[in-house]
Amino acid sequence: MSSTVESKPAVAVRPVRTPPRKPKPAPGSRGFSPLRLLGMIFVWLFTAVNVLVLYWLVSASFKTPIEIFSKPFALPLQWFERGDPFRNFAYAWNNAGFGHAFVVTVVLVAVSSVVIVLVSAPAAYALSRLGVRGSNGLTNFVAIGMGIPFQTVVIPLFIGMGKLGLTNNLFGMFLIYVALSIPFTVFLLTGFFKSLPDELEEAAAIDGASPFRTFFAIMLPLTRGGLITALILNAIGLWNETLLAIVFLNENANFTLARALFSFYGAASYQSEYGGLIAGVAIVVLPMLVLYVLLARRIITGLTLGAGK
Amino acid sequence: MTSTVTAPEADEQHSSASGAHLVRKKRLFFPFFLPAVTLYVLFLVVPTIATVVLGFTSWAGAGDTPRFIGIGNYAELMGSDSFRYAFLNTLLYIVVGGVGTFLLAFLFTMVLRDMRGGKIVRAVLFFPNIVAPVALGMFFGIILIFRPNRQGLVNHLLESVGVDAVKFLAPENVTWVVTACLIWASSGFYITILMAAVDRIPPYLYEDADIAGATPWQKFRNVTLPLTWDVIGVAGVLWTISAIKIFELVFVLAGPGTYSPQIRAWTLGIYVFDRSFGTAGSPQYGMACAAAVVMILLVSVLVVLLRRLMRRDTIQF
Repeated sequence: MSSTVESKPAVAVRPVRTPPRKPKPAPGSRGFSPLRLLGMIFVWLFTAVNVLVLYWLVSASFKTPIEIFSKPFALPLQWFERGDPFRNFAYAWNNAGFGHAFVVTVVLVAVSSVVIVLVSAPAAYALSRLGVRGSNGLTNFVAIGMGIPFQTVVIPLFIGMGKLGLTNNLFGMFLIYVALSIPFTVFLLTGFFKSLPDELEEAAAIDGASPFRTFFAIMLPLTRGGLITALILNAIGLWNETLLAIVFLNENANFTLARALFSFYGAASYQSEYGGLIAGVAIVVLPMLVLYVLLARRIITGLTLGAGK
Repeated sequence: MTSTVTAPEADEQHSSASGAHLVRKKRLFFPFFLPAVTLYVLFLVVPTIATVVLGFTSWAGAGDTPRFIGIGNYAELMGSDSFRYAFLNTLLYIVVGGVGTFLLAFLFTMVLRDMRGGKIVRAVLFFPNIVAPVALGMFFGIILIFRPNRQGLVNHLLESVGVDAVKFLAPENVTWVVTACLIWASSGFYITILMAAVDRIPPYLYEDADIAGATPWQKFRNVTLPLTWDVIGVAGVLWTISAIKIFELVFVLAGPGTYSPQIRAWTLGIYVFDRSFGTAGSPQYGMACAAAVVMILLVSVLVVLLRRLMRRDTIQF
């Protein structure tokens, strides 16, 4: 009896239209199971460890070796007391050749990434939008290159480049970086080009634009996001690339950062120059961190794009 | 009247124009495609074929001429300790590291799906993926140092809670340490991939499961897993092709840096490098090429196997 009395006004008060479904209920409002709580604790602990690791790295790069090992979590003190807080960075930058390597890496990475995109974008466009028979097969043929480990090509490449006088040569390194980054970049960009609607090309054709002009004036600007993503991902990949740099560069003047770090490691651990070594690691890592903080979204979606489809 | 006359004309004009346009479009194909594919063939396809051919030769390296010896290199690889360690370690990293990474990623997807701050967690965990493996290796090398009185970070913590320090980087432990580091460093990437797939699952499926009183495990087993199966398959392939080339991380973590580590820690990547460009001993390019061929074969077999295992009818949702 009472229930009918109660329910009637409720119906009358209710607005005429309710949204079809409530938006996601607030997280955490679902009631906790102990398992879930345990999981959340684990996830946050794991995350906290990662943050702590980064803190350790940055703080250690300002410490003396004694501080690094005896007070791993304290704030750096000794170099600051001696009035030389950047001593480790100065050591890595000047004595271990990171300063020169930094310049080499920035130029090499910037030029290579731009050229990679310049070469790959037309190829990706040709494969995805020109409607040529066999395009799918050719796309797969290029994409398979992503699965080839560099170790497989490095020996013949070394011999061949040696014959051309291009080993221990930054131009040779540039050629190799560009060529070996093509499969990934073409694959990434075909995805972006495929997502554009056909109508744009048709409209451009009706307006009398040549296919060449359609590509440059319409399609390319529309995939700007994809091109920038490709540029950034290649820059990250090449910044961190070590194996090819070890094989092809063997003179300090040509060293990239990863290569310099690699050869510094032996000497530094031998002399217990851990401060300088960690500063070297920081010089390699921190630019990536800055880039990541600025562009995390783009980097994450770009790198995980291929798998999500 | 006029319209019926002009219409076919216009139509004809249009189709011939579009036909010409199509031809002009196709003419663009080669100038656009050739530069990239030329570089690709010259620097990746041709060297791969050359490696396969050179794998059948005895060749010490520059200055020596390759001499055809059939499958001699492969026979020698089978009998060599260093190759056996390299092969088994690589397989271990792919399988155990892969299982560990994916288990961790699944666990995170169960929890992260509706957790406050999940985006931040994902962003933090992803970061190690864009750090140079050589830097990661050095970082781990420093924090795992075993050196009484001046311990690395991890042993420092162990000792401060009263546990005996462990020789993490000793030959018998280093493989497992590398596996753990690998899982730590790469889980973020796979968490992100899987979470992107999980986010596409309609939330009402989880709401239904909630109403039916499903536990987190049941929700994972009956909703998340079937609906992300294809993405898991692709992620598995990505894991395999990236894990097969593990090199720098192990090289600096297990060794002194400049020279190769002791053979118990080797991977196929280190084997190839040591036999060709390593600074110790005389180079054996022929053997290195044969080992590189083993790398390609292994990755192809694993990828095909994985695709077979993961194949099933797609689910629409």
